[in-house]
Amino acid sequence: MGSRLEKNSELVRKRFESHKFEDEEGDEYEGSKFGGFADYFRRKKIKLQNLDADIRSSTAGNAQIFKGVCCHVNGYTQPSLNDLHHMIVSYGGVFMQYLDGKTTVTHIIASNLTPKKAIEFRRYRIVKPAWVVDSITAGKLLPWNSYRVLDEGVGQRVLAFDEGKVVSQARTQSRTYREQTKTSWYTSQVKNMAENIDDEAGAQFPSSQAVVLNGTGMYTDSSGQQPSKSIVYIQPNKRAEVPSSSQSLDASSPLKDALANAATGIGSGGIERLESFLKTSHIVPEKNATVTNPLTTPTRTSKVVLRDEMLESPTPQKSPINTPQKLRYDLTNLESPTPSPPKRVKLLADLESPTPSPPRQAEILTAEEPVALPPTKAKVLTAEEHNAILLADPHIRKSSTANPDFLKQYYSESRLHHLSAWKAELKSRCQRMAAEKSASQKQSLKRKPGSRRYIIHVDFDSFFCAVSLKSTPEYVDKPAVVAHGAGTGSEIASCNYPARAFGVKNGMWMKQALKLCPNIKVLPYDFPAYEEASKGFYEAILDVGGIIQSVSVDEALVDVSTLCLPAEDTDGFSVREGSVWREQEKADRIAQGLRTRIKEKTGCAVSVGIGGNILLAKVALRKAKPAGQHQIKPEEVLNFIAELSVQDLPGVAYSIGGKLEEIGVKSVKDVRQMTQERLITLLGPKTGKKLWDYSRGIDKTEVGEQVVRKSVSAEVNWGIRFLSQPEAEEFVQNLCTELQRRLVNEQVRGRQLTVKIMRKSAEAPLDPPKHLGHGKCDTFNKSIVLGVATNSAGIIGREAISILRSYGFSPGELRGLGVQMTKLDPIKSFGDALPDGSQRRLNFGVSAPRLVKQITEDPIDDSITPKKAKSGQPSSGPSQSHLDPIDESPTSRKPKAISSQALRQDDPIFLSPQKPRETPVHPATAISRANASDYSARKYLNMTGTQFIMPSQIDPEVLAELPPDIRSKLVAQGRKETKPRSPSPKTQSPIPRAARETSNPPLPSQVDPEVFESLPAELQTEILASYSANQAIFQAQSLLPQSPRKLRTIQNLKKTTPTKKQGPLFRSRASKQDPYSTSTQSNFVADQKDDSDYNSDTLDESFLSALPPDMQEEIIQEHRRKWLAKKRGLMTSALKDCHRPPDQPPAIQRKIRLPLRDPKPTFTTRGLSTLPELRETLKEWFEEFREDGPIEDDVKAMERYLRRVVVEERDLGKVVGVVRWMQWLVDDADGATKTNGKGLEAWSLALEGVREQVQFAVHERGLGTLDL
Amino acid sequence: MTSNSAPPSPPSPPSPLLSPILNTQFAFHRTLTDFLTIAIHTILYTRELYPQSTFITARAYNLSVHQNRHPLVCRWINSSIDALDPLLEKNTVKRVVLVIYAPSGEVLERFLFDISRFPVVDDHEKYTEFDGARGIGNVVDVNEQLRHTIRKLDYAGSKMQPLPEDCTYTLAVELRDEAEPPIGHPQPWVPSEPSLQTGETGGSERIGSDLGGVKSMPVRLVESGDFILESWIEEGAAKFKCDGL
Repeated sequence: MGSRLEKNSELVRKRFESHKFEDEEGDEYEGSKFGGFADYFRRKKIKLQNLDADIRSSTAGNAQIFKGVCCHVNGYTQPSLNDLHHMIVSYGGVFMQYLDGKTTVTHIIASNLTPKKAIEFRRYRIVKPAWVVDSITAGKLLPWNSYRVLDEGVGQRVLAFDEGKVVSQARTQSRTYREQTKTSWYTSQVKNMAENIDDEAGAQFPSSQAVVLNGTGMYTDSSGQQPSKSIVYIQPNKRAEVPSSSQSLDASSPLKDALANAATGIGSGGIERLESFLKTSHIVPEKNATVTNPLTTPTRTSKVVLRDEMLESPTPQKSPINTPQKLRYDLTNLESPTPSPPKRVKLLADLESPTPSPPRQAEILTAEEPVALPPTKAKVLTAEEHNAILLADPHIRKSSTANPDFLKQYYSESRLHHLSAWKAELKSRCQRMAAEKSASQKQSLKRKPGSRRYIIHVDFDSFFCAVSLKSTPEYVDKPAVVAHGAGTGSEIASCNYPARAFGVKNGMWMKQALKLCPNIKVLPYDFPAYEEASKGFYEAILDVGGIIQSVSVDEALVDVSTLCLPAEDTDGFSVREGSVWREQEKADRIAQGLRTRIKEKTGCAVSVGIGGNILLAKVALRKAKPAGQHQIKPEEVLNFIAELSVQDLPGVAYSIGGKLEEIGVKSVKDVRQMTQERLITLLGPKTGKKLWDYSRGIDKTEVGEQVVRKSVSAEVNWGIRFLSQPEAEEFVQNLCTELQRRLVNEQVRGRQLTVKIMRKSAEAPLDPPKHLGHGKCDTFNKSIVLGVATNSAGIIGREAISILRSYGFSPGELRGLGVQMTKLDPIKSFGDALPDGSQRRLNFGVSAPRLVKQITEDPIDDSITPKKAKSGQPSSGPSQSHLDPIDESPTSRKPKAISSQALRQDDPIFLSPQKPRETPVHPATAISRANASDYSARKYLNMTGTQFIMPSQIDPEVLAELPPDIRSKLVAQGRKETKPRSPSPKTQSPIPRAARETSNPPLPSQVDPEVFESLPAELQTEILASYSANQAIFQAQSLLPQSPRKLRTIQNLKKTTPTKKQGPLFRSRASKQDPYSTSTQSNFVADQKDDSDYNSDTLDESFLSALPPDMQEEIIQEHRRKWLAKKRGLMTSALKDCHRPPDQPPAIQRKIRLPLRDPKPTFTTRGLSTLPELRETLKEWFEEFREDGPIEDDVKAMERYLRRVVVEERDLGKVVGVVRWMQWLVDDADGATKTNGKGLEAWSLALEGVREQVQFAVHERGLGTLDL
Repeated sequence: MTSNSAPPSPPSPPSPLLSPILNTQFAFHRTLTDFLTIAIHTILYTRELYPQSTFITARAYNLSVHQNRHPLVCRWINSSIDALDPLLEKNTVKRVVLVIYAPSGEVLERFLFDISRFPVVDDHEKYTEFDGARGIGNVVDVNEQLRHTIRKLDYAGSKMQPLPEDCTYTLAVELRDEAEPPIGHPQPWVPSEPSLQTGETGGSERIGSDLGGVKSMPVRLVESGDFILESWIEEGAAKFKCDGL
């Protein structure tokens, strides 16, 4: 600090305070030149001063609290920079936007400083924003010392004055953001507001449209302590007492000016000011009883506005001629960002009229009633108000959420709901029927891949239309559609073929259809008839037999393979003469029979498509329509599919089709040109793969595959028009009740709740195109995990409402609400008595899917599901709480009946399902949590209802002794155990795995049975559990390769037989009995190796299984590719050292991976290459054939090898060594024995030949003759 | 090489300690250039290009080797090896050849060191380690092989016919076929005489006529990991002509 600071800041202050703004003629308003940043900045500062001068002049009446203070704001502050600026300047201070130097200001305002800045600014006056605010509140400049941001450090005592005495004190203030946020200015504002709100029932949320938080008006505190913000035009302070009516005229005169300004359209700035003025000047006439003086009663704007909304929302049926309210509308209109001047003038006149009598206003306003409201005006209404007006019409009221019975009505009238409910019901019925029927033949459901299949797809031709036409047969040949009305706004549900000829399509609006075909006949829905027809349809299909899957009310898929294949050949593999043809014929016959039967029963035509899989059946059906049948035979599949356009494939429509068309793919043929990878990158892994398969006629889905229901939801997005928050919340509660009904219906409980909220988009009009529809919306989804599976409407409703509240949307803007339960747990029929009970579950973590499954299978689990006392709902069953903890305590799962029994009795702790977080942690729960991480602690769970674990190895004798019912249970358990593990003939696994699996029951091979038996039962189960967990993992992996292609890989792997160690190159002396046999030597010729031999690099199973599945697949693929390449002879030398695939480099350090080197040439099948080895071999060879001389082939092989050494290995030294060794051998023998000259001669000759060849090879390399 | 004596001693060639593990390109090159320095000295000694009394014995690869003590000779050898470095870095070298000329300029003998099977690695990767076991963990193995090479060079050199008086020699580099010639400023390398040039003959009979020689004698194939260095000696036709005379 010191004098420099004083001097500098004084200078600045003087300069700024003396700054006057005359007009916009100053040089600062000229354009900047290129590169003149400094100039630009200087001008900017001047302009900022102009602004300040303006503020100063407009707030000349304020106390000059900050006289002589020059401030700069650093960082985030509360109140904001803008507000502080305004406060300081309007109370006589000087504000510097840009800090030119530390000494140019007297005070720097900051909430907190960065450490660097804290040091930099240590010697300056850094004050908190509260200083400014408090100073203004106090009406005088408070000492800045108590608002220091920086102090002298924690322990430093400083001198202070206390009532005239000098005291020394230590600062103990903490400097955190919390302090700031707690005591901050905004917080208090919000608190006040919140208190105001809390006075009323329910919460109110700002509308997305209203620009409520405009300007500083918002901050105006009800306590009146805050300075007036309407600094622009209104001189009299807002804190002034209610003026008399004579004063009020004065007060309103600037208002007139302002309005005049706005009306003449001086600028948008003016209007904004007007706006803020209107807000802050508290003109809320409706609060004022006296009409003569509507403008002068200062009230608390924010509060009043909100209260008004409160007032009007619960009473939406206020008569439209409600003067005060309408006046408010007008005021709101005034705030519209694009006001039209003429209207303003009119309003102005309105306001100016000294005696604005209620009738007059009403007159004006009725003229502007909602119907006549121009769009710009309508926008300005808050959504609630708009809804109120809308709902004034009793008819609309009836069909919107204002009607208490709306939900019931909605679901009873919604066509889509009806259809989907019908379909769902049909599906479950179908599944039941199928389950009953095929309970016996369930085994045969698993079909071997590759067998011939016959799937038929049966579908009504324009179902609704055809059925509806039965009652009006005269229109059969004329274009007819089914829709809910002949009006242009109704949607076509179904149209007959004559209508389709006109281009009419399902789902089209009537408007368009009428354009295409003016004399189209519109038929009404006839649901009973549809149901009748559908029933007949399904009866006929069920008569056929086979596996049935209902697709919809009017279409179904039937797998008739079993019916088509001749009895003796159930595999669909063997091909005998004409058998395929006969099968196809049979399929056709079935289809024909089905068609005639359905025609008889329902009087409507169906079409049938037959194919080898669902895809082909569906595609064939398109060709069969109308009223025909078509079979795609295996040989024509590819051609047939190739001709289709992509969008003809099931599951492909505009979106995917459009994407494909962008890259120039239109027909299936084009798809086939693409690689799978490309498709996957384009469409995602699932769709891409599916499309790739489809383009080749592959479809792996099975008929009758039951899709497990994953979610249950209830959603309404039509007719949602709320007037208040409680109304919306009540609706959500009702929706949850509906959801509960459905959950109970589905016999499930959910653990995750998703709430979907559709809110009108900000730019969307209040009236959507569709009557009471949702129009353009922003959709918000929020999920919470409940922790407890529940289907109680109370719990769900509470959560849903809290989610809705958390968004804080204005209720009037809600357009759609939905609640959905996911993560469903089935309620077993056993527990039907209390279907809506909710019980806490042990969480077994994700790593043990097997166990989780067992939990759900545990009948004990659901048997007793009492309502908790805390749930606040009537317990729907006798209180059985003393029995319930069986599920909650992990120890009870131990195979000890006694312990669990004991626990049952003394475990009185109940976990509240509603407030899971507040639940006291039960010791058992704690144990279970601790155990969750410890695998061994997760016991083998009781699956069969007995308290004992059955070791999978069953002693037959003991078994025989047991009573029959227990025996059957045990046997069943045993079977269950072994079944998935027994390797099915198709999914063969590589040897190691197979070996592991064959050893599977009863005990893992690593466990000694005797030792096992001697263990206590508990330990036994633990061992079993841990091993079975291991096995589960192995099984999971053995299940991995499921596609036929991968299977083949595995089979290949399996085929590899361990190669025998190659015998020695030459027979040992033991073979001397038959020295003349050439076969002894044929060994020597380096023959082609058996190329199926690649045992050396078969994959290491344990290594493989340790890898993640995708990597496994990659390695298997790579492996297979290599093997194939080798098989085709791409890798010429499948010899001694086969290179393993290079190991994956460690992720951290990058390493150079060198290209593979050609393997060294080797001699003989033993793969010799080093000189000592060669010498040894040569010696043996020579000894063996010393008498007879070498065999020609061997010499040739030798020459070939040496040649390769010269040319490929380029080890001349070795060649020389070998040749010389041979020479020596020959010479040595020559010198030593001198017996058989003939043999030696042959050897010498051979040696000569070898030399010659070597020299030849050396010359070939471009080298001079070797000295051999 | 002991560092006590002889003012201009070449930078102590056997420095396996500098590259304890041969698994980078840089280590490969260091090992090679060290070896070449020793090999050249050895050849100069065994072929008696300089009087043998100008050599001192030194130790390399745990073997007693000979090193010329004339500063200019040492400087020449060191600078030519240094000039080799940039070429090695660019992976352009196929062979390094010490050529011995008769006083009349005919090629008598060529000592070839073929490194065409060295890994090709970008210059900026020269410190990056090779993957897996492709480098050489065991330096001793390489050093032993190199020692054997030196030993054999020594032996082969002493076994060959003595050279006539006033022979001269030079160091040449045969480039890989696809490599760019090292032309530029400064230009340490000049094109060799046509008879020793590789590549297309372009119809000329002279080009490449002295390559290969009449007789060749293997020295040693050093092979350890990817360090594959083949060396052999070629004797030119001129030598036998001389002998015939």
